[in-house]
Amino acid sequence: MIELSGITKSFNGGKPNQFTAVDNVTLTVSPQQITAFKGPSGSGKTSLLTMIGCMARPTSGRIFLRGVAAAVPFQQEGVDAVEITSLPERFLNEIRRSTFGFIFQQFNLVKGITVLENVMLPAYPTGEGRALFRARAESLLEQFGIARLAGQRVELLSGGELQRVAITRALINNPSIIIADEPTAHLDSKLSRDFMEIVGRLKGEGKSVLIASHDPIVFDSPLIDTLVEMRDGTVTDSRSCR
Amino acid sequence: MILQPAALALLLIALLVSGMGIYAGYYGMRILGRWDPASGSEGQLELERRTYLVSTIISYVLSFELMSLFLFIYTADDIHLLFTGAMCAAGTLAVNSFGYPTLLLKIVNFLLAGVWLIVNHADNRGYDYPLIKVKYELLNMLVPLLVLESCLLFAYFAGVKPDIITSCCGSLFSQGSGSLSGDLAALPHRPMQIAFFSGMAVTGISGLFFYLGPITGISALTTPFLVRKPQKLISNLLKGRVGYLFSAASAVTFLIAVASILSFICLYFYELPSHHCPFCLLQKEYGFIGYVLYATLFGGAVAGIGTGVLMPFRMVGSLARIIPDIQRRLALVTLVCYLSFTLIVVWEMIFSALTLG
Repeated sequence: MIELSGITKSFNGGKPNQFTAVDNVTLTVSPQQITAFKGPSGSGKTSLLTMIGCMARPTSGRIFLRGVAAAVPFQQEGVDAVEITSLPERFLNEIRRSTFGFIFQQFNLVKGITVLENVMLPAYPTGEGRALFRARAESLLEQFGIARLAGQRVELLSGGELQRVAITRALINNPSIIIADEPTAHLDSKLSRDFMEIVGRLKGEGKSVLIASHDPIVFDSPLIDTLVEMRDGTVTDSRSCR
Repeated sequence: MILQPAALALLLIALLVSGMGIYAGYYGMRILGRWDPASGSEGQLELERRTYLVSTIISYVLSFELMSLFLFIYTADDIHLLFTGAMCAAGTLAVNSFGYPTLLLKIVNFLLAGVWLIVNHADNRGYDYPLIKVKYELLNMLVPLLVLESCLLFAYFAGVKPDIITSCCGSLFSQGSGSLSGDLAALPHRPMQIAFFSGMAVTGISGLFFYLGPITGISALTTPFLVRKPQKLISNLLKGRVGYLFSAASAVTFLIAVASILSFICLYFYELPSHHCPFCLLQKEYGFIGYVLYATLFGGAVAGIGTGVLMPFRMVGSLARIIPDIQRRLALVTLVCYLSFTLIVVWEMIFSALTLG
């Protein structure tokens, strides 16, 4: 479970051009569910997800990860709830690697290297044996039907293939939470529906999925468990779709 | 004022250490006054980010402070040729009344800075800022001393003039000089040898027990019974006492060793029964052995004292798994340093041409 308490994110604090991207958001995200964040551009969806995913820190407020298989030091100490906003950077790195998988709007795959190498990239800093995570990467590529592309450079792939590679990369460290930021923005309707089908499979495997989107194919999907509507940095509505 | 490159480097380091120390001290005061981990306020989050920055900067600054002690004694030794009467750093430091107070304060600050770095290292390993208040209380105690040291250093170098006639180490560390250094030099060598080797033995044995204990002894014996609270308590108490004993022994042995250098150790190096100067050891004629001796002694003392300073926190939340590991490594550092120091001394006692009766 992810608990957000009074989360605010401001830029240029104290200056005339101060901008508040997220304003005092308090929210609970249930585990092993698909939660969609709906709202127009600039509503604060991406800022909120980057803070949940430990990629940015809030200006104020706290974020608790409860019951999440978090990073190694916390598991060893039997800590059930981790408050992530106060953690020093090196702990955030560990949580980011072990707990979250990210699917970005622009996919952010590294050009010039192969699909397999792209998928394996997030596993290198974990210290796990290369043979182990290579086997896992190959298995994931097989699972998503793109094993034949393993040796290809990513700049030669189509949009749908790129997205599958991005999903595979997000799963390489077996995270319990997947964060997808506008994942269907560059896809046609069929590929968008394919994406939602994959998301449904991930939920079936016990993963929590957080999706920021203003695509009706995503937030009108019957797979969505909770819909959070945002506008001007605040949550205007949060409802269960079940 | 002397404009020698090393002196200028020392003054720059002093400025940097004092300036950053005051800056960190200011945030230390804010942290001690306003730190509230339960709050998610903007002020608290700002302090959390700031402390990470401040402690990183101060870690580097205090590392410079550690090195500056050796640069200071090197500089004092290097410029002794400028002063009539000076034979080594002892004479250089005696050119005005600020030399020796600066050296003594640098030694105190070396030990405190080393301990702060150890506490900071332990604090940074915990995810919930477990030693934050201890760390900044210690820093706020250290900052005035760092500033005072800088003032003394400036006063010392400002008062250094090449035409000054100073004393040589032979008179400063002679047994009848009536000064503290003279009194230390006059300490009888046989009791000092007994005190020195006893101190090293107690430190070595307690350190060895502390280092090996968790692996072989206490833990191995009590692991099957750890669920039983009384036995766990006894085990912890025993481990705790050994840790404190080891730390206290390493600190006392450090003082004894310093006195022993003046009393008998340096005599074996100089092969002269009446030359007690602790600075001539830094010179080329003696293979710069002084740097090795002082580095091992000071390094061992800092690690040993640091072990004791961490003792009260070894069972604290997120540090329960971290501190015992750090302490074992610190104990090993002390053991290696003190053993190296002792071996050098013993080697010299055996192979020196001098025989003390």
